[in-house]
Amino acid sequence: MTDVTILPTPRSWPAILLPGKDAADPTDLEAAMAAGAFAGLRLALRDLGATGTTAAIGASGLRGRGGAGFSSADKWRAASATPASSRVVVANGYGADPSSATDRVLMERNPYAIIEGLAIAAFAIGADEAIIAVRADAGATIRILKTAVGAAQDAGFVGLDAFGPGHHLDLSVRTVQGAYLLGEETILLKALEGKRGQPEQRPPHPATRGLRGLPTVVHNVQTLATIPWIVVNGPEAFARIGAAECPGTILVQVRGPEASGVAEIPLGTSLRDVAALAGTPTGARKLKAVLVGGPSGGILPPDALDVPYTFAALRAAGAHIGSGSVIVADDRACIVDLARVLTRYCADEACGKTIPCRIGTRRLSEIGDRLAAGTSRAGDLDLLTDLAADIVGSALCDHERLTTLPLVSGMRYFRAELDEHLERGSCPAGVCHPIAMAASATH
Amino acid sequence: MSMNPIRLVPGSGMVRGMALTLRRFFEPKATIRYPEVRADIPPKFRGRLQLLYDEYGTLKCETCFQCAQACPIECIDMGGMDTKGRFHVHWGAAETYGERREESALRRSGRTVPDPAYDHFEGVDVGAVDDILEGFDHDPAHLLAILEATQAHYGYLPVGALKRISQVTGTWYAQIYGTASFYGHLRFEPPALLEQAAAMAARRPAEQAFLAGLGASLSGGGGDDA
Ligand SMILES: Cc1cc2nc3c(=O)[nH]c(=O)nc-3n(C[C@H](O)[C@H](O)[C@H](O)COP(=O)(O)O)c2cc1C
Ligand code: SF4
Ligand code: FES
Repeated sequence: MTDVTILPTPRSWPAILLPGKDAADPTDLEAAMAAGAFAGLRLALRDLGATGTTAAIGASGLRGRGGAGFSSADKWRAASATPASSRVVVANGYGADPSSATDRVLMERNPYAIIEGLAIAAFAIGADEAIIAVRADAGATIRILKTAVGAAQDAGFVGLDAFGPGHHLDLSVRTVQGAYLLGEETILLKALEGKRGQPEQRPPHPATRGLRGLPTVVHNVQTLATIPWIVVNGPEAFARIGAAECPGTILVQVRGPEASGVAEIPLGTSLRDVAALAGTPTGARKLKAVLVGGPSGGILPPDALDVPYTFAALRAAGAHIGSGSVIVADDRACIVDLARVLTRYCADEACGKTIPCRIGTRRLSEIGDRLAAGTSRAGDLDLLTDLAADIVGSALCDHERLTTLPLVSGMRYFRAELDEHLERGSCPAGVCHPIAMAASATH
Repeated sequence: MSMNPIRLVPGSGMVRGMALTLRRFFEPKATIRYPEVRADIPPKFRGRLQLLYDEYGTLKCETCFQCAQACPIECIDMGGMDTKGRFHVHWGAAETYGERREESALRRSGRTVPDPAYDHFEGVDVGAVDDILEGFDHDPAHLLAILEATQAHYGYLPVGALKRISQVTGTWYAQIYGTASFYGHLRFEPPALLEQAAAMAARRPAEQAFLAGLGASLSGGGGDDA
């Protein structure tokens, strides 16, 4: 089991993904079934049928938890409407952001919800192959998933004739490693095919042409783990939880002055309440910024904390849900330095396929480096604005677009601090070593 | 058929040639502001492939092998530094296209291609590669797993082993190298013994560096000395 803390949340918040009490052994199928596991799959198979299940998911308003918030039922409809000899469902458990453990916590604590969700999705779109993709270095997670898959197979929920005579579901756990970008769905599929991990032009979306050319629905593990709950409790009950345009709950990884851990929150909770789960800076320390979305996240100021934690509202504010990471920074942090670290990582991880990816993100990160080093050129901020707009406009995948967020949000909300670096070569927070200081520091 | 009488004067061709050279010499240079302005180029013109350097003098090529994979007759092959700073393979100059085509034909026929640029990467016993390939049914769909097993055996991915995989499975070398060079856990040279211990300790170097940088940035201690 993980070393990750589960942060306590208000009792009124619903728990869909993380069961209230920790099971002694999350792979104990009997105990899980006693708590309701696989009831949703049975309902889908016996009562709802494939179209009924898809309709229920559509009516629930479920959106993907992988970051972009795409409608899940739309993906299913696209996949089942594509004529094919076979179809595939992939659980994206890669968890690309090294600073977020949300997906890993879910896989380790509630593996059967993911397996059941996969089976329901496979049944709904007519898939006979399902893959849980997980990172190769997550040893404990892999063991738990493999044990759970084995037990589900023995019990007949997946495997031979799982959906009735002649209707199989071949379920496997596959490990991948070696790049941040493997979290992106088209790149993940490339890795599963043993190819270089570079994204593809869309359309065609994976839902119509994915793994080995077959219609493939890729879902984040949280999305999948939500599905059984919807089938059992009904779409109306689900639609009442969280925000109107994106109902349900989601896992966040909050890091703050007092605590750091994973929590399940209703979507639409204010960013203030989310950040407060890890405590607020006290005493001499003041809250300065909240980094929302992981390495390519946006840096938001304290007065943006009323923003509801939803896909659309965060994007409008210049951040995104991304990996579910919410990091509280106090007044010791320098926005320029933070943006520089984030942008550099994203640029280093860009795959190199397109010009905005290969050159654009690098130039972006150089602007950050120059700001932090006190070697900015006149017009660097205009260059930043132009370059970011060009990258967003011409990118092949979302990674490049999102890579612009740390610097652009930093410029939007903390312009005075950037100007301080740019015009005076000084760092108000005393973090960066601008050129004047760096020269004397070397002696 | 009438002839221009001047063309019949011996040596006049050379004079006319020199005159043309002189005229061109004093003509203004034409820089075409592509893509706003596009030159009128004959449809069969293909230009000459040349790798460019950026303003810092670094080769712009990332050795991503996309051009090599896209070229239908395999006349492009790569060399230089890849994104991980490793030197590799070689770049066929435009002049040697004829030669490259002959080689490609050989490569496709499944026979080994003698290539002096690979020589110093040779010297591995490829028997283990054959066993590994056997275990994966010679199926290129398992390329990543094949590469991982190869690295587990040799400690790294010797070029000789990659070439053997290419030869036996019929997968393009460019595709194999392109795949291998993307994944952070695959490497092309034996790790120095000391480095190996460090590499074992830090299995996700890029991520660890990121987390350390993030931690340093957030605690306000600043980059290096915190
Ligand atoms: C750079 C990048 C990294 C991503 N990393 C992940 C990840 O680690 N896990 C994940 O589930 N989705 C990740 N995604 C989103 C996936 O591409 C995809 O949208 C998602 O898995 C679809 O699942 P959903 O419908 O449940 O949201 C990433 C996207 C990008 C652009
Ligand atoms: S290898 Fe990649 S970067 Fe280099 S020239 Fe070919 S396409 Fe361009
Ligand atoms: S195309 Fe390279 S990261 Fe998007």
